[in-house]
Amino acid sequence: MSTETESIVTAEAGSRSMRRGMRELRRAEGGGKVPASAGRRAHGRRETLAGYGFLVPWLIGFLGLTVGPMIYSLYLAFTRYNLFTEPEWVGFDNFVRMFTDDPNYMQSVQITLVYVLVGTPIKLAAALGIALLLNYRNKGSGFFRSSFYAPSLIGASVSVAIVWRAMFSTNGPVDSSLSLFGIELGGWVGNVALVLPMMILLAVWQFGAPMVIFLAGLKQVPAELYEAAEVDGAGPMRKFWSVTIPMLSPVIFFNLLLETINAFQVFASAFIISNGSGGPAGMTNFYTVYLYKRGFADLQMGYAAAMAWVLVIVVAIIAFILFKTQKSWVHYAGENR
Amino acid sequence: MSTTTDVPRAEFAEIATNAGPPRRRRMKRSSVNTIIWFVVLLAFTAIVLYPLVWLLFSTFKPSSEFGQNPGLIPDNPTIENYIKVAEGIGGTPLWQFFANSLFIAVMAVIGTIISSALAAYAFARIRFKGVGVLFAAMIGTLLLPFHVIIIPQYIMFNKLELVDTYWPLILPKFLATEAFFVFLIVQFIRNIPRDMDEAARIDGAGHIRIFFSIIVPLIKPALITSAIFTFIWTWNDFLGPLLYVNSPEKYPLPIALRLYNDATSTSDYGATVAVSFLALLPILIFFIVFQRFLVAGVATQGLKG
Amino acid sequence: MFNIRKRRAAAAAAALTASAALVLTGCAGGGSEEAGATYDPDEKVTLNLAFWGNDVRAALYDEAITAFNEEYPNITVNSSFLGFPEFWEKRQTEAAGGGLPDVMQFDYSYLRQYSENGLLLDLEPYLGNIIDTEPLSENILQIGVVGGETTGIPTSTNAWGMYTNPKLLEQVGVEEFGGGSWEDYDDWMKEVTDAAAAAGVELWGGTDYTGRIQNFEIQQRAKGEDLFTDEGEPNFTEEDLAEFWEQADTIRTDGTVIGQQRLEEVYPLSGFDAALTASELTWDNFGAGYLGNLGESYTELGLVEPPVTEEGAQDLYLKPSMLHSIASTTEHPEAAATLVNFLVNSPEAGAAFGTNRGLPASETMLEGAELDPLGQQIADYEASIQDRLGDAPPVPIVGYGTLEEKFRLIGQELGYGTLTVDEAVDQFFGEMDVVLNQ
Repeated sequence: MSTETESIVTAEAGSRSMRRGMRELRRAEGGGKVPASAGRRAHGRRETLAGYGFLVPWLIGFLGLTVGPMIYSLYLAFTRYNLFTEPEWVGFDNFVRMFTDDPNYMQSVQITLVYVLVGTPIKLAAALGIALLLNYRNKGSGFFRSSFYAPSLIGASVSVAIVWRAMFSTNGPVDSSLSLFGIELGGWVGNVALVLPMMILLAVWQFGAPMVIFLAGLKQVPAELYEAAEVDGAGPMRKFWSVTIPMLSPVIFFNLLLETINAFQVFASAFIISNGSGGPAGMTNFYTVYLYKRGFADLQMGYAAAMAWVLVIVVAIIAFILFKTQKSWVHYAGENR
Repeated sequence: MSTTTDVPRAEFAEIATNAGPPRRRRMKRSSVNTIIWFVVLLAFTAIVLYPLVWLLFSTFKPSSEFGQNPGLIPDNPTIENYIKVAEGIGGTPLWQFFANSLFIAVMAVIGTIISSALAAYAFARIRFKGVGVLFAAMIGTLLLPFHVIIIPQYIMFNKLELVDTYWPLILPKFLATEAFFVFLIVQFIRNIPRDMDEAARIDGAGHIRIFFSIIVPLIKPALITSAIFTFIWTWNDFLGPLLYVNSPEKYPLPIALRLYNDATSTSDYGATVAVSFLALLPILIFFIVFQRFLVAGVATQGLKG
Repeated sequence: MFNIRKRRAAAAAAALTASAALVLTGCAGGGSEEAGATYDPDEKVTLNLAFWGNDVRAALYDEAITAFNEEYPNITVNSSFLGFPEFWEKRQTEAAGGGLPDVMQFDYSYLRQYSENGLLLDLEPYLGNIIDTEPLSENILQIGVVGGETTGIPTSTNAWGMYTNPKLLEQVGVEEFGGGSWEDYDDWMKEVTDAAAAAGVELWGGTDYTGRIQNFEIQQRAKGEDLFTDEGEPNFTEEDLAEFWEQADTIRTDGTVIGQQRLEEVYPLSGFDAALTASELTWDNFGAGYLGNLGESYTELGLVEPPVTEEGAQDLYLKPSMLHSIASTTEHPEAAATLVNFLVNSPEAGAAFGTNRGLPASETMLEGAELDPLGQQIADYEASIQDRLGDAPPVPIVGYGTLEEKFRLIGQELGYGTLTVDEAVDQFFGEMDVVLNQ
């Protein structure tokens, strides 16, 4: 991510003046024997040593547990591999089949895109909205925080499938409540048009993780900034837009990026609710559900690996674009820009 | 600093700048606001909690009612499910599964916090050759669906003869393989003004001292958040233990509760929901206890100005 | 046919060699390395045993293993169990990464795949000595043979049948299905559905049977053709399949069978489990599950023959509900075979399992089993269809599970109307292409 380096470089520029001051100080003390460039080089070496020192555990994990398997899966993407016999090189066959000869793949891509584009903004808006509400007053906040997080605790167990199916079945709570408003949709579970919305609502219901991260971010906003804005005569809306949002932007960026990635990889909830089938009529056959079925049920590991890498590339492009945009809206207090 | 009290900042600012006669009216309006706020939140809470309440009530339904009675109240309430669950599964007592889950989750929390915070500090605060590339690589690991690296990882752990131990579940946590947490903490560190560590550096402090005495206290909310997530996600993890743990007496809860379901014979939904409800309680307690410390972050922030 | 004879001869030869070996070891006073096919009872061995099932089955295995240990105290059995899908997910990973358990409960649809890749031990050397073949009929043993090697021993058998719900039928006043053609079955279902509608009961005559590949299979077998040849080539045309799916057009559209939407709501239960349909075509070992899921107010089920495609045709067959296999990597093949023999043949195992794993295939195990009324009903059923039982089809092709699931999903989409029959046939043949070219 070149943006990353850029922002670090900018940040460095910010503190350069201070460091220059330090160098001058040192030179004054030590009689200026050490040339500035040598000092900088020594400093750079020390930094590099420190950097890699802090990164040791991560590097071991990255090189040992992630890089190898990743490269291997990239290789598998160009093979036919049924887990039992040696992979057989087939070139781009898997990719060709994916885009030209697999109606299920195309359907899977479509519903996944809808899920990401509709579900993620709603989930984030809900998480931010509730986080702001929780942050507004402190009464009973422990209770509320816990309540809103509770749905996320249950993860994607069999129980979620049982509960969610019951909520959306014919004459279930959702159906009955909507009937009160004269909306007669019947059960959602078996309705091909309503299953996807049902899955999106499940994701929104489990908005605890981004909410907690927003809350932690809100706690980091220094009160002085609100006081200053107050002195400048800012109203609640102004304070929200000119203090809260900019100060929260690194966290918003984090949640947006991660929730988007997670939504693309939605698996457990759909898998469990459809009992691994991706049904009805393929409407919960999200990308990774389909990938999993191809890999582990149908033993087409090569095809599954190819699917995975198409997903990686698409999500990487989206992540890259998000990183590019962060310069214009994400504000890091520690990197004075 | 006055911010160390728990007065929410918006309100605090309001009061602070509006001393004098208008204050009482302000207060009145503020308490009306509080009531509206309370009611709105309560309504949201009710909606969000309803499915969980339904789950609680359904633990008292006999298995045959599942799929037939979507209502809240059981037609034939029974505590049979709990009695059955208390017997354990296949000769392993129920508490054993709880103990297994607890052990794995606690180790995972310790590992994740230490390794992720160290890595995050390097990414956020140390400028060295290759940091950009490594950071990009770290983000890259988030993008790959985990399914495709399962097989190679399994082969590796099998060669190391670590299958049917907890090592494949815990070791990766000590190696910061969950990029999510590294990235989360990076974001928080980058939001901390640099003046403090620059000052410490002028005083001759090295990275280790800066990390432990300045950064760690300031990123407590992020660390607590990471701890909570790690605990809960590990507690709920299904695929990892499924692949790496063979002996039933080593199973954690998510696997144990699947043992009541078998598509090829009968599925005991009553027992399933009863176990999952019981499994929910420890993490609920864990969350309720630790979410307080999210708030505690405010105090540390306040000292900083 | 030739194949079978060859195998039989091989078995006989093996049995001979083995008994000769027994005699030899007897003379030599035991402990001969060459014997191979015997287990030394003094050897301390630990075996891993894996099976799928729920907590109930796990308790039964515990009981059986306890009985096993009374006889063989030096074999320690570490058993582990999971639900069906998880069980296979774990096995696939182990198969790829090494480390299959010594003894496994095995499923027919995976047998070819694991056998052809050399993951399962050829049991030939143990047949007739460690593994008693006397109580197992030849066509039962034949089921576990892939490519000339015996890699699985069936524990039990099941046959395709039709369950009906007498209580619901009585409620709406319709007689039990008295047999007949598929059209007769359609009419009977319509009668039930109409009667239920008139009585104001939410009940249908049955489920769209064209969603199950087994119904297609028995219709094809009635024509004298298995779905796949011995070589694993498909043995049916696009027209056959289209015709099969089209025959249910009427019952799908006129509401005779339960709608896909309603079925989806009760899934993973079936319509029959949820008391929403009066009949279901399925394997006859599903009865216990149905009774369990229907709840305590249902105490008996009807079990009758599936509709007849062609009078006098041998369209049905006995399928192993599960088998026992040994991993080729096991370090203790003799001990493992001893355990398999116990789990497959012993009256003690019969006493422990009853019909939990299906109707015991081995006579000795069946003797030990105390059949509950349902078990007896299944035994009677399998005896009654004797005339319709033909040879079992070849061991399912690699990827059969994928095709079976695809068939089910396509059936669903036909029910929803999101696919036309032509599109469905296209999709199925497309999938089959991929599977066969693996």
